[in-house]
Amino acid sequence: MLAMLTLTYRSDTTIPIEAEIIRPDLLAGKSAGEIAQLLVHHGNRQVPLGEFFDVQGDVSDEQIRLVGDCRRVKLIGAGMQRGSIVVEGSVGMHLGAEMRGGNIEVHGDAGDWVGAEMRGGTIRVRGNAGHLVGAAYRGSRRGMREGVILIHGNAGNEVGSTMRRGLIAIGGTAADFAGVDMIAGTICILGSVGIRTGAGMKRGSIVLGSAETPALLPTFRRACVYRPQFLDIYLRTLSRWGFPIEDRHFTGKYVRWCGDLVALGKGEILQWTAE
Amino acid sequence: MIPAYVAFMTLLHIANGTVYDPANGINGQIRDIWIENGKIVEAPADPSSARRIDATGYVVMPGGVDIHAHIAGPKVNAARKMRPEDKRTAPPVRRTRWSRSGTTGSVPSTFATGYLYAGMGYTTAFDAAVPPLGARHAHEEFHDTPVIDKGFYVLMGNNHYVLRQLKAMTDDRPGAEARLRGFAAWLLNAAKAYAIKLVNPGGVETWKERPAGNVHGLDDPVPEFGVTPRQIIQELAQTAMDLGLPHPVHIHCNNLGLPGNWTTTLETMKSLEGRRAHLTHIQFHSYGGTTDEITQPGKAEPFCSKAVPLAEYVNTHPKLTVDVGQVLFGETTSMTGDGPLGYYLHKVTGRKWFNADTEMETGCGIVPITYREKSLVHALQWAIGLEWYLLVQDPWRICMSTDHPNGGSFRAYPEIIHLLMRREYRRELLKQVHPKVLERSVLPDLDREYSLYEIAIITRAAPARILGLRNKGHLGVGADGDVSIYQPNEDLTQMFSIPRWVIKGGEVIVEDGEIRREVFGRTLHVAPSYDPACLDDIRQWFEAHYTIQFANYPVDEAYLNSGSSH
Repeated sequence: MLAMLTLTYRSDTTIPIEAEIIRPDLLAGKSAGEIAQLLVHHGNRQVPLGEFFDVQGDVSDEQIRLVGDCRRVKLIGAGMQRGSIVVEGSVGMHLGAEMRGGNIEVHGDAGDWVGAEMRGGTIRVRGNAGHLVGAAYRGSRRGMREGVILIHGNAGNEVGSTMRRGLIAIGGTAADFAGVDMIAGTICILGSVGIRTGAGMKRGSIVLGSAETPALLPTFRRACVYRPQFLDIYLRTLSRWGFPIEDRHFTGKYVRWCGDLVALGKGEILQWTAE
Repeated sequence: MIPAYVAFMTLLHIANGTVYDPANGINGQIRDIWIENGKIVEAPADPSSARRIDATGYVVMPGGVDIHAHIAGPKVNAARKMRPEDKRTAPPVRRTRWSRSGTTGSVPSTFATGYLYAGMGYTTAFDAAVPPLGARHAHEEFHDTPVIDKGFYVLMGNNHYVLRQLKAMTDDRPGAEARLRGFAAWLLNAAKAYAIKLVNPGGVETWKERPAGNVHGLDDPVPEFGVTPRQIIQELAQTAMDLGLPHPVHIHCNNLGLPGNWTTTLETMKSLEGRRAHLTHIQFHSYGGTTDEITQPGKAEPFCSKAVPLAEYVNTHPKLTVDVGQVLFGETTSMTGDGPLGYYLHKVTGRKWFNADTEMETGCGIVPITYREKSLVHALQWAIGLEWYLLVQDPWRICMSTDHPNGGSFRAYPEIIHLLMRREYRRELLKQVHPKVLERSVLPDLDREYSLYEIAIITRAAPARILGLRNKGHLGVGADGDVSIYQPNEDLTQMFSIPRWVIKGGEVIVEDGEIRREVFGRTLHVAPSYDPACLDDIRQWFEAHYTIQFANYPVDEAYLNSGSSH
C-alpha cells in the first residue's frame, strides 16, 4: 500500500488557484500521476494540478496531506463528503466551503469564507482565519447549517453570518459583526470582539469569554446575570479541544442579553462578567 | 429598412415539412417554405442556388412570439443584482465559437436571454413594463439581447401627467383630452416603445403617496389627483384606439394576487365598454375568497378559482384578449411595476425586497418567490393558469405566458405545451399537488387537449395578431423569415425544448437547440403622430418636476441600432 496522498506546494504564482478538486472523496481511486494531470483554474486558465504541486501517494486511506504555503490555493476541501485533509501551512479562501462531512485541519492561517455554508464535518484552523467564517454567501438565505469550525487564532468580520446550526469557536479575537443575522446555532469567542456583535440575530447563542466588556448594540436587552448550566458542557469540550478555557469561565457568571430586538429577538449574547 | 443581418443571405428552402401556420389556415399539411432576403417568398423560378433543409417528418411553425415577459430594463437588472444566490447554483451558458457566455437562473443575463429564447424556437419577445425614464436602459440591454426581435410597453397608468389630464377632463377643462392623447403619443415616441401599459392603475401612485397605500376597487380615488382607476383604464384604452396603435392597451389589473380579486378583474373588463384591450397574466387576477379566510376560518369563502366566470365573460366579448401568466413550481423572482404588490409579497414570504419610486412615472417591487406543490395557494395558482388555457374557447384570444419570471421562466413554455396537449400528464401532476385543489378548481374536470394547430396559435399566431405584427406569427408570403422546426416526439416537453432548427430572418441560427450563429434582431416600436402644440405644456410641466432636462429625455434613433456584434 502506498503512503497517504501528499501534495507539496512548489509554486510562486501570485494568481489564485481554484483547487476544489482537492477532496479525498473526489480523488479516490486515482494514481498520483492521474491526480497531477487534473485541471484546476489558475486565474482564467485551466492548468494541471501538477504545475503547482508535487504529488505523491494516493487517497486509499481517504487522507490528503498538503505541505507548503498554500495561501494562493482556494477551495481546498470545498464540498467534501468524507475523509480528511491536513495542511502543514496556510491556505486561501473558501476552505471547506459547503462541505458535508470529514475533517480538515490547517496548521497555519486560512483566508476568508472558511466553512461557508457548510453542512457537516469539522474544520480546525490552528492559526488565524479571515472574514466570514461559516457565513452565507452573498444573497443566500442560510450560512453554515451543521458542523463544527474551530479557529484557534483570531477571526475577521462577520463570523457566522446568517448561520443556521452548528458550532463556531474562536480562541482569539473576532472583529465586527460576529453572528450578524444569525438564524440559530452557537458561536463562542474567547477573545475580544468588535462592534455590532449579533446585529439582526433571530435565535442562537453568542458566548463572549473575554474579560473586557464589549460594546453591544442598544437593541439588546439585559435580562439577568446567571450561570448557564449548559455552558459547562461547551467549556469542557472546548478545553479538551485545546482552547484556552480558564477557571474563571467555569466559576464566573454571565450577563444574558436578549436580542436582536430589531429582528425576532430570541437570540442571546452570554457575556462573561466579573460581577 | 433592411436590417444589417440580411446582407449576406441566400435563398433558403425548407422542404417537405409538416406545416402548422394557423394564420393561413395550414393545419399539418406538407408544404415547402422559401425565404429570401429575410422574408418568406413564393417558390422561385430558379431554385438551384438555394440552401435546402430537408424537413421531411418535422413539424414546421412560425417563430414563437412572447407577448409578455420581463427581459430588459432597470427592474430586470435590479433583480439580477439582487439574486446572486440564484445565479450561483444555476448552470451557466458557456461561451462557444458562435456565442457569448451568460448566466441563467430566474433572470438570465442579456445575451443568455436571446440565446435561450432562440434555443426553444422563439424569435420575438416583448418586455411588458418599462418606465419611460428607464427606456434608454431597456434599449441598451436590447443591444445585447441577440437573435430575437424585441420591444417593450411603456408604463402610463400612474404617470402624473396622465393623471393631471384625467382630472382636467373630469373638470371639463378645455383641451385636456387632446393633451392626454398628445402626451401618450409623444411618450411612445420618446421612449421608442411599442404599446401603452397600465400596471395597477392608480394603485402605484397611491402607494407612493400613503404608507402601505393602494387602491382596492375601480372607483377608489387616487389621492391628490382625485381620479379613479376606472377613468385611467377607459381613457387610456380609448387613447390607444384613437392613436391607431397596433396593440391595444395592455392592462395589469388592480389587486393582483389578492383573494377575491376576480370581481375587480370583471369590473375592469366591463369598464372597457367594448373597447379593445389586452388583460395580462390573467391567472393572477382570477381568485375567489376573501382575505378574512385566515382570521375567520370556516366562515369566509375560501381562496379558490374564479376562472370560469371570467373566461365566460372573455368568451362572449370578442374585443378582449388575455395572456395567462402560468405559475410553475420552483424558485423564481417576482418583479413588477406594481410597488404595493412587491411590498405585499415581501410581507407574505418574509424574503428580501427591492422597491423603487420612479419620479413622476411609476414604482417597482422585486421579491424572490418559491412556488411549492404542497402549498394550497401555489397549487391553485398553477391550476387556475391551466384552467384559463382550457376554458377560453377561441385560441386566437389567449396567449401563452408565464409573466416571465413572475410565474416561472419562459423556459417552461415546452412544459406548459405538454400539460395542454396531454390530459393524462395533467392528471399525473394533479396527484402531486395540494389535494384541496381538486375541490377548489375545475381543472380535474377539463378534458380538453390542445392540438399542434392550437399550440401554434397561442404561442405564435395569436400573440402576433394581438400585437398587430403583420409579418410575424405566420409563414405566408411577405412574412419575416422566422421559422422553428421541431422533431416530433411523444415527450412534448423535449420536443419543444430542443428544436431541430431555428431560422431567424432566413438564417439558420439554432441546430438541435444550440446556437450556431449570432445575429441581432430589430427593436420594434411605434411612432404615432401628435400635434406639436401639445409639447409646450409637457415641457413646462417636465421642467418644473423632473430631475433631467427635457431635451435629454427622449431616446434618439441611434438607440435602435440592432446589436453589438457587427
